[in-house]
Amino acid sequence: MKKLIYILLAGTALITSCKKSLDQQPISNNTTDTYFSAPNDFLQGINAVYNDLRTYPDRLLNLSETRSDNLYAVSEGGVRDWEGINSFFKTIAANPYVEEAWSKDFNGISRANTLLDQLTKNGAAVIPDATLRRRYEAEAKFLRAFYYFDLVRLFGKVPIIDHPVLTDEALNIPRSPVADVYALILSDLQFAADNLPLASAYAVADKGRASKHAAKSLLALVYMTRSGPTYSIEGPGLGLNEWSLAAAQLNEVISSGQYTFLTNTGTATTAYSSIFAYTNENNREVVFNVEFATGSNPQLGATYPWLLVPDGYFQSLGQPNQGGLEIRPVSNNMLASYETGDIRKAFSIQAGYSIPRGVTEVRSFYKKYIDITKVPASRTDWPINFIVLRYTDILLLKAECVLHGAAGSQTTDVDAVVNNVRIRAGLPGNQVNVTLPQLMEERRKEFAAEGSRWHDLVRSGLVTTVMPAWIAADDVRKQIQPFTPNYIIYPVPQSQLDVKTGLYTQNSGY
Amino acid sequence: MSKNLLFTSFSGKKLFVLFLFSLFSLTSLFAQESVNINGKITDENGLAMPAVSIKIKGTTQGVSTDANGIYAIKTTIGATLVFQYLSYLPQEIVVSKAGMINVKLVEANTKLDEVVVVGYGTQKKGNVTGAIATFKADKLEERPIVRVDQALVGQMAGVSVKQTSGTPGKAFSIQVRGTGSISAGNEPLYVLDGFPLASASPNGSGNFSTGNPLDNINPNDIESIQVLKDASAAAIYGSRAANGVVLITTKRGKSGKPTITLNTYAGTVERSKKLDMLNGAEWIDRATEMINAQWVASGTGRTASQTTDQRRTILGLAPGAFNTTFMLDDRWAQPGYGGLNVIDWQDEIFRTGLTQNYQLGASGATETVNYYVSGNYVKQEGMVKGMDYESYSARANVEIKANDNLKFGVNIAPTYSVTNDPGVEGKDNILHQALSMSPIQQDVAGNVNVFNSTQYIWGVSTNDPLAKLNNTIGLTKKFRTLGTVFGEYKILDGLTFKTTVNLDNTDNTSKSYTPYTITGSLTTRTTSPNLGTAGSYGGYRKRTFVNENTLSYVKTFKDKHDLSLLVGQAYNSDKIENVNLSSVGGFGVGGITTLGSASAVNGSTNEAMNVLISYFGRVQYNFDQKYLFSASIRRDGSSRFGTNNQYGIFPSVSAGWNIAKESFLKDSKKISELKLRVSYGESGNYNIGDYSSRALLGSNNYTFNGVPAYGQALIGVANPNLSWEKSKTTDIGLDIGLFQNRITASVDYYNKLNTDLLLNVPIPGVTGFGTQLSNTGSVRNKGLEFEVSTRNLTGDFQWNTSVNVSHNSNEVVSLASGQSQILIPSSFDVSHSLLRVGEPMYSIYVVRQEGILTQQDINNKVALFGSQTVGDPKYKDANGDGVIDANDREIVGHPNPDWTYGVTNTFRYKGFDLTVLVQGQTGGSIYSLLGRALGRTGQGVPDNALGFYRDRWRSPDSPGAGEVGKAYSTFGRIKNTDWLYSSNYLRVRNITMGYDLGRQFKSKAVKGARIYVTAENFFGTDKYKGGFNPEASNTNLSGSDIFPEAGDYGGLPLPKSLILGLNFTF
Repeated sequence: MKKLIYILLAGTALITSCKKSLDQQPISNNTTDTYFSAPNDFLQGINAVYNDLRTYPDRLLNLSETRSDNLYAVSEGGVRDWEGINSFFKTIAANPYVEEAWSKDFNGISRANTLLDQLTKNGAAVIPDATLRRRYEAEAKFLRAFYYFDLVRLFGKVPIIDHPVLTDEALNIPRSPVADVYALILSDLQFAADNLPLASAYAVADKGRASKHAAKSLLALVYMTRSGPTYSIEGPGLGLNEWSLAAAQLNEVISSGQYTFLTNTGTATTAYSSIFAYTNENNREVVFNVEFATGSNPQLGATYPWLLVPDGYFQSLGQPNQGGLEIRPVSNNMLASYETGDIRKAFSIQAGYSIPRGVTEVRSFYKKYIDITKVPASRTDWPINFIVLRYTDILLLKAECVLHGAAGSQTTDVDAVVNNVRIRAGLPGNQVNVTLPQLMEERRKEFAAEGSRWHDLVRSGLVTTVMPAWIAADDVRKQIQPFTPNYIIYPVPQSQLDVKTGLYTQNSGY
Repeated sequence: MSKNLLFTSFSGKKLFVLFLFSLFSLTSLFAQESVNINGKITDENGLAMPAVSIKIKGTTQGVSTDANGIYAIKTTIGATLVFQYLSYLPQEIVVSKAGMINVKLVEANTKLDEVVVVGYGTQKKGNVTGAIATFKADKLEERPIVRVDQALVGQMAGVSVKQTSGTPGKAFSIQVRGTGSISAGNEPLYVLDGFPLASASPNGSGNFSTGNPLDNINPNDIESIQVLKDASAAAIYGSRAANGVVLITTKRGKSGKPTITLNTYAGTVERSKKLDMLNGAEWIDRATEMINAQWVASGTGRTASQTTDQRRTILGLAPGAFNTTFMLDDRWAQPGYGGLNVIDWQDEIFRTGLTQNYQLGASGATETVNYYVSGNYVKQEGMVKGMDYESYSARANVEIKANDNLKFGVNIAPTYSVTNDPGVEGKDNILHQALSMSPIQQDVAGNVNVFNSTQYIWGVSTNDPLAKLNNTIGLTKKFRTLGTVFGEYKILDGLTFKTTVNLDNTDNTSKSYTPYTITGSLTTRTTSPNLGTAGSYGGYRKRTFVNENTLSYVKTFKDKHDLSLLVGQAYNSDKIENVNLSSVGGFGVGGITTLGSASAVNGSTNEAMNVLISYFGRVQYNFDQKYLFSASIRRDGSSRFGTNNQYGIFPSVSAGWNIAKESFLKDSKKISELKLRVSYGESGNYNIGDYSSRALLGSNNYTFNGVPAYGQALIGVANPNLSWEKSKTTDIGLDIGLFQNRITASVDYYNKLNTDLLLNVPIPGVTGFGTQLSNTGSVRNKGLEFEVSTRNLTGDFQWNTSVNVSHNSNEVVSLASGQSQILIPSSFDVSHSLLRVGEPMYSIYVVRQEGILTQQDINNKVALFGSQTVGDPKYKDANGDGVIDANDREIVGHPNPDWTYGVTNTFRYKGFDLTVLVQGQTGGSIYSLLGRALGRTGQGVPDNALGFYRDRWRSPDSPGAGEVGKAYSTFGRIKNTDWLYSSNYLRVRNITMGYDLGRQFKSKAVKGARIYVTAENFFGTDKYKGGFNPEASNTNLSGSDIFPEAGDYGGLPLPKSLILGLNFTF
């Protein structure tokens, strides 16, 4: 009997010692319970908010460039994901690109919120340097505003999430009026502009982080977008007259001396291409970019360079396929818009190709970001940064404000800027009294393949005239549906409508 | 041949007489005189039985029979001799005088007295109240079997064993009573000699990426397998029992002289099926038609009759230049195809492989030690070149009786296996590529677009699959050790304490290497040698540690009350460590396959662990073996569960009524067994991932100024409520034995409701995530199982039949609140399957094809898909909106079969035996993406196509078989019933013919010998024209981890083998 007792005692001891082992901490992952206990943890938290920018270039190409008159992207057999984006199908609520935009932007917002929440809770205790703490907060707010601005431009009204939310709470947060979303964006950007360092104040290793003037530039673009027409939809334009507010921000960027308009030297016409050169990243034109690098594990490279490039092009140059699908041709209208001698055309657009096997493609496509000598080992690992805001854009945005009545001179702030852009492109700088449509036409060519076109059309009010005219002229396959202002914004993704009936209502027209 | 047909004679009568005789002799004499007894032991058929143990009851003295069944023993008058042999009924005979006692042993067909293994103990089969299927292991030795799961095919009702791969050594997939889980796996828990092995589910592609519990387990070591099907039998295993429990018992030594066995076999393995693809001439015919059509459509004035030169001129190409889209290869029309090669790629890659196996075992038992040791070597060449499997295994089971109260023992089984698979099965792997490869080539097979050859410009750009088989390394080495140490202490009479410590350790390494010479294009191979070379080295160490302690009490009161009590406690931990290294950017040096020569290497490691702590108890009671009752309960706490739900309780209760033991049936000549069983139980499925409930952070890096910047962010929404999936099963069963059990049968009806399924429930994207892992939704499986065994003929010619038939129907009862369906995503076009409330899981959801479009259809304005024209397939406008699109999809089938069955017939005559196993299924469907890859609309010229393109639509006057539209179609494609196939099949899995050589040997050294020939998978029929194996799974068709859907995208046919084997006993 004694033995039995010993055995039972031993068993009981075993059980009690085991109970603790039910609390198994993950070995290969951190959890929020254990993380954010060192300053570097916060830095890594911030870096992860930047990480969501990585799909932004692809999104711009899919949802802005492809939707506009720059591309004639109707596909064979209707099997491509971009089918309906360019063709204004009503049924694109479940389109993967539309779904991606909503989920990725909100993922970025939730990461920013987690970081801001942890800063509030533990920031003071963990990070003694108050300036650094404020910089982290400002970076998080810049990025939150960045993602929200993308959402507003794509979807109009969206739910306002300014703190970490779990499922139960999220199920009761409806979409907020656009004006309210802008209020959060403006306050975040204002904080960012006040607290972010100058681009030049960052250490070399931090090049690419949001800077004071990146925040001011974005703030200006937000003011300008709010100032666009409402089109009687709940979209990004509020019809406000904030061109002067925007111009004031842009003036600060221009006068900061942080950036330079790259110009040709001598007879060379390489300034334009040098902006995008693989060997000239973070050049003086760059105000804010999405950074990519090759050769890391996990990969930190880009896919956007080949997104609009058909595989045959790579084959014709003896390179491995990149995963590009069917061609999304540049529209005839776009091709025709270039004046003879415009070096931007040949740089941005490839006029077909033929591969040894005999297939010849005669249609044109964008190849602006391809340096054939830099094809990476993996097709998803291209090393080239994507410029989101560049100094030429700042100058042209300022010109736009002036044309809308903000303080400034037609000659020096509009005509001269446009002429400088033209001269750099190898064209005569002979424009006088540039009008808004002329300015937008110049932007179209200058920012081809940069994802700017759709937003430009919407902001300027041109979308309702330009798109129908283009469809009538270019849609030889008669696959594009009639354009209505409802299509200025995208439908709320079907998956979001399905989560809880009635939580969100679909945008008009879808 | 005997005329002893069923119902006309009963061998049981003889038994009865013998029994009466022994009763009589028991009462007769009690003298103590020393006498010599000898005799011969035979079986029912009068065949001599070697190795039968003869013991004097109450002593340790004993002998065993020789090869001729002869024995001699010295004993005393009045002593009782016990005759025992394996599964034969033991007999006791009281010695009344010196001389000869011949005994005829009868096989234990009175199943009631058979002992079956249940969780944490054994039970007489007659007292079992749960639904338990038993597999007799003697069938294992009589057949050449490489894996334990292979042996279970077609054997048990309700146990579906799918051979999802044709790769040698690869795991099968086992499902007990249908599939109840959507994302937590449907494989049962395996318990080996009481050691619950870590459960593993196939990944989305249908592969067991971190091993299968049955890997490397030598089937020759298996004594018996029991499958606990219902929750009452399985619930003692709590949170792991929802998919059933498979109890495997390995061999133990039997008392008597040491027995040495040698089993060996050798034979050939080849494909059992060839896919009907277009041959060279047919491919040329199709290519010509398509290229001409493309030419004609490309501009006005272009006609099919224009020559290649004319077309070249029109296209403005340089002399000698080709546009393969618009120009034919003139050699196609020349005799002998102008020197081009016609290649049957299937014939090139398949082969006849050799297989061989050697097993040596020794076993025996003395008063204090019981041992079984064995060693096994198997080598199998696959049916495809370059595929091999080799395995070495050993096992020692030793049990030592230290004294009357203390027993301890050790089981240890180290094993090592080596598999080489160059990557044959699955999408874009070698088999799929070999099928798609153009059958007309410039170069010979083995030299197409590899090394210094370029591709045939009208052919596919793929590299030669044969060269890949010959030059790719895909080695997996697995070293697994299973060990158990146990001690058993009898505290009081009937009260026993048992403790076991178990360890299962697997070290698995995989190495792959592909030289650049068989990748990419000739240009790349020439300009950038070694750049295309890729290598990897990875592996895992998986360790399961289990300690279990039980206290059991068994007592019979007043002869009629049998009581058995069990309480226990268990600690279980699983740990896995992964390492992965792979080359980046090619190799720097050629010819070396290790990563030291890679240009750069990416590497990572990962670890995870979980702990399960359990308490359990069971009470079994029967009154007079008539009224049976059993109840069990288990409490499981797992580190996997959320903090709000750390413990689960799993109860079960069951009852049985042995009607045959009632007075009104006791004397029935017809009914020898009749038992009604009813049970209810709850169990769980805890395969929810080790850390799924937690707020995990993951790497989300960024880069600044070209330098990586580490980032950490949440990778999911935490769910502290996360718990196991629940399963509730009700089972009603009836066991019947007729005519002295010449006919035995079991019928079971079950209703299994799985609730709280682990589902990724859509949540608002504003949380940062699209889904959250939650317990919601439910699936019901209902089924009927029927097993019957008959001894149709006895006597010299014996014929036994056993049949098992199962019906299972599966229905999604609910999904997350407010959800009526979930479309399973697809990597290939729109979804083709869904989970819809009220329908079977993963119902197939596609557009229906109904014939071919005629001009009249077009005139009548039937609904079209895109730019369809005459000769294209005609689809059903299910929603009647006048156009064909994804909204016209309908449910057209479901993947799981409605009925599965297996029939085994065994014949014995003199020394010959013949076994035939026929197995099949009906009622299920396959949606084959391999079929789609090989026969889709809009398919290009170079790819080869399925044979049904032979009878395609060619013109209104030559409309073909009405199944396939014209070869040149430009409207694109939509998921439709073109690639829907019935998964029905009927297959003769095994025919084994054996002969007892012991009749020929008169050697004393050899106790028994048998020679046999086996034909596996020789005959069969299926309706799967778009692939080889209706059960194949090798690719995740959904491309999603959230709703994985394993399916066929290039799975091998079942291996067809012809094998000669020998079994010796010394």
